[in-house]
Amino acid sequence: MEALLLEYLPILIFLGIATALALLIVAAAFIAARQRPDSEKLSAYECGFDAFDDARGMFDVRFYLVAILFIIFDLEVAFLFPWAVTLGEIGLVGFWSMIVFLAVLTVGFIYEWKKGALEWE
Amino acid sequence: MLSWDFLALQPALPEVFLALSTMVLLMLGVFRGDGHTRIISWFAVLVLGLTLLLVLDDLGGTKRAFGDIFIVDAFAQFMKVLVLIGSSFAVVMSLGYIEREKIARFEYPILFLFATLGMMMMISANDLISLYLGLELQSLSLYVIAAFRRDSTRSTEAGLKYFVLGALSSGMLLYGASMVYGFAGTTGFDRLAAVLDAGAVPVGLIVGLVFVIAGLAFKVAAVPFHMWTPDVYEGAPTPVTAFFAVAPKVAAMALFVRVMIDPFGALIGQWQQIIVFISIASMVLAAFAAINQTNIKRLMAYSSIGHVGYMLIGLAAGTQEGISGLIIYLTIYVFMTVGTFACILCMRSHGRMLEGIDDLAGLGKTNPPMAAVLTAFMFSLTGIPPVAGFFGKFFIFRAAINAEMYTLAVIGVLSSVVAAFYYMRIVKIMYFDEPAERFDRPIGREMTLILVGTGLFIVFFFPFIAPLLEGADAAASSLFVG
Amino acid sequence: MAELWTGYMLPTVIIVAQIIAIVVPLLFSVAYLTYAERKVLAGMQLRKGPNVVGPFGLLQPMADGIKLLFKETVIPSGANKVVFIAAPVVTFLLGLIGWAVIPFDDGMVLADINVGILYLFAVSSLGVYGVIMAGWASNSKYAFLGALRSAAQMVSYEISIGFVIVTVLLCVGSLNLTEIVRAQKDLWFAVPLLPMFVVFFVSGLAETNRTPFDLPEAEAELVAGFNVEYSSMPFALFYLGEYANMILMSAMTTILFLGGWLPPIDVAPFNWIPGPIWFAAKIAMVLFVFLWVRATFPRYRYDQLMRLGWKVFLPLSLFWVFLTAGVLVATGWVPK
Repeated sequence: MEALLLEYLPILIFLGIATALALLIVAAAFIAARQRPDSEKLSAYECGFDAFDDARGMFDVRFYLVAILFIIFDLEVAFLFPWAVTLGEIGLVGFWSMIVFLAVLTVGFIYEWKKGALEWE
Repeated sequence: MLSWDFLALQPALPEVFLALSTMVLLMLGVFRGDGHTRIISWFAVLVLGLTLLLVLDDLGGTKRAFGDIFIVDAFAQFMKVLVLIGSSFAVVMSLGYIEREKIARFEYPILFLFATLGMMMMISANDLISLYLGLELQSLSLYVIAAFRRDSTRSTEAGLKYFVLGALSSGMLLYGASMVYGFAGTTGFDRLAAVLDAGAVPVGLIVGLVFVIAGLAFKVAAVPFHMWTPDVYEGAPTPVTAFFAVAPKVAAMALFVRVMIDPFGALIGQWQQIIVFISIASMVLAAFAAINQTNIKRLMAYSSIGHVGYMLIGLAAGTQEGISGLIIYLTIYVFMTVGTFACILCMRSHGRMLEGIDDLAGLGKTNPPMAAVLTAFMFSLTGIPPVAGFFGKFFIFRAAINAEMYTLAVIGVLSSVVAAFYYMRIVKIMYFDEPAERFDRPIGREMTLILVGTGLFIVFFFPFIAPLLEGADAAASSLFVG
Repeated sequence: MAELWTGYMLPTVIIVAQIIAIVVPLLFSVAYLTYAERKVLAGMQLRKGPNVVGPFGLLQPMADGIKLLFKETVIPSGANKVVFIAAPVVTFLLGLIGWAVIPFDDGMVLADINVGILYLFAVSSLGVYGVIMAGWASNSKYAFLGALRSAAQMVSYEISIGFVIVTVLLCVGSLNLTEIVRAQKDLWFAVPLLPMFVVFFVSGLAETNRTPFDLPEAEAELVAGFNVEYSSMPFALFYLGEYANMILMSAMTTILFLGGWLPPIDVAPFNWIPGPIWFAAKIAMVLFVFLWVRATFPRYRYDQLMRLGWKVFLPLSLFWVFLTAGVLVATGWVPK
């Protein structure tokens, strides 16, 4: 267990160094440049007009649908990863079990397609 | 190398068949469109019937599949038969309703089928993980059909409430399951039973068990986890409510019983008190809370909470006789609830559905046959002999007394008396009040068939007692032996 | 004290040195990738590109960096300050830490974890967060809408990337990146899995919001999308992060399909060239194609883009998973 964790130590250190670097860059900008905020500069960009209405408005439910479909297929991919790696050991039984799983998800995909969940985007 | 024996699919044949046919029907529906909803519904009933035959095909003996996470014994088969009967009744009852209310989409019967598949999986679960799988499959399908009437705020509210509270309870159940796994080292019911029989039980496991009971009590709609029931039952479309009151109730009860007896049977000293408390609370609350109701669907919701309380008396007794009584009560409950909801579905005037109790006024004069049938169902719900409901209560109370749970039995009888008020009030309104608007006729062939079928079963229950008792005893004994 | 040094300090110092040996050339490459892009695009459009700042315009990226450094960082009113600054930091961060598991040569890898490809997949999935945080924190409708569209696009193409990775894994039998490269000793996977190579490359274009899938962030469309409110170094971080991601995607393409640090044919003259040089050359080639595509193709409309991701790539890659697994099991070539 310890050996496994030790393998990930460089990643942790890398994470720390990269975060420090990024924050350093942002801090450098704050130090180097002259900050002169005024209300015109700070207002949201709207091609010169005043903002029409609140930015935190509603958004189209289609994006939510895309997110949900993504979760389903991403989980399918996540299940495929260990199966792909161990296909040699689990033999035909493992192969056909996964094919059944994929088939069920494909039925779901066909249903989505026909119902138009993948349209207009 | 895995071998094919590992899967051992034979005992799961009904579920496999149901799953495959549902997917075929889904493809049929999506390629043919909403106009074919009625045909798909009848196909759905056919599929349920064939699944029933497959369940009954292989009676006797206990079999396991999928490497011990799936069990088929007499108890599972009995419960699955009840679930399948309840589901097919619900689908048939829905046909006319969904067409009149313009919510006839082909997904409707398919969701019923998926929910039924989840229920069958739950009933046959022999492992905490497969329990959760079946539970979620059932729950997700039910959340969707609770909100099936997309344009009605009440329906979407019902679906959303059900979803949020259901997800919360599933979370609690999973948390409890994880604690049980952590302290016992296994999730399989057989191995859990062995671990718990062996020695001292760590407190953490008991805490996990309490969470599991809480999650299951939600599904079964027992107090204090009953909050969702009146709102969801009222908001959902009426045939969906009928389905809720029948099939998931059976599946959740079966699950509850199996989880309490099979893995945690050794801990009966711990959970018996909890079940007693839940049972008393359910009976008493349902008895008193329903008195004020004016909406018949809400009344039926509280009524179902009360009936769950009575059924839990059988579980609290913890004996084979108690479980047998529970099974009998459950069977009778299925038929009388289906019948009552069939009557409620006939409460239509000028094309609009009526839901108030006062809309039943004078039914004795305007529609005597319907009033008679409804009276029989009300008598059965109360528990008045010689209709079936009395026998359900009789067996339950007998089991309680034989297990020396006298307080429980007495409270049960007293709450029955209190509950009698609102059931008898309906009878009084039907016969002694001035007639309200006449209901639309005709009520449809399917509805008549269901009303006649369930009505006859409830009223002329005598010939059914012996076979039912035999079946229930076989089911209960399979649970205690296996 | 000695154990403290040899047990803890020395390995840490070595790791830090290795990290610097990765990060510095990487940042250098990112900076010069921007220069290369402008030069390549210019060449393809028959003009000269930057040639004023330094010989052949080679100091252009430095000049751009210094310019951005001295600009004012504007944080819009009403913006959520913490998330606003965190978003570019996250994007840049993710562009960098993906490099921890990339093997530059046999055994030359910072962290040789045995779930390398899963780690890379996870890092690219996290990239969506940076975009959404930027759009939401900007308190501007256009930024938010641009961020949503960008996020939906990235997420849609990630699925086909996942399926393509699965087809490669079927042929390899391990999630370790070094193993994946070693498995291509005899034949690069681009040959048997050519359609998947194409799908992966195009999905990589979509994942990094490059042309022809750069609708959510093109300046002419929706005012540059989620980074409209950004200026100075936070903007630079986004830019750097995007190009670092591009190089990471090219590295992934090379490792999965073009044999990583392996020479095309394992014979004498090719063998003399060290692995890292081959790796860098292949990445450069893939990057050139990225730039070439930018110069050549018009932009996809958003609905065409989503249609491609969901209705073409997803079924195709899913089918290819079935096919590859079926062929491997039927012929018994499954790697043990």
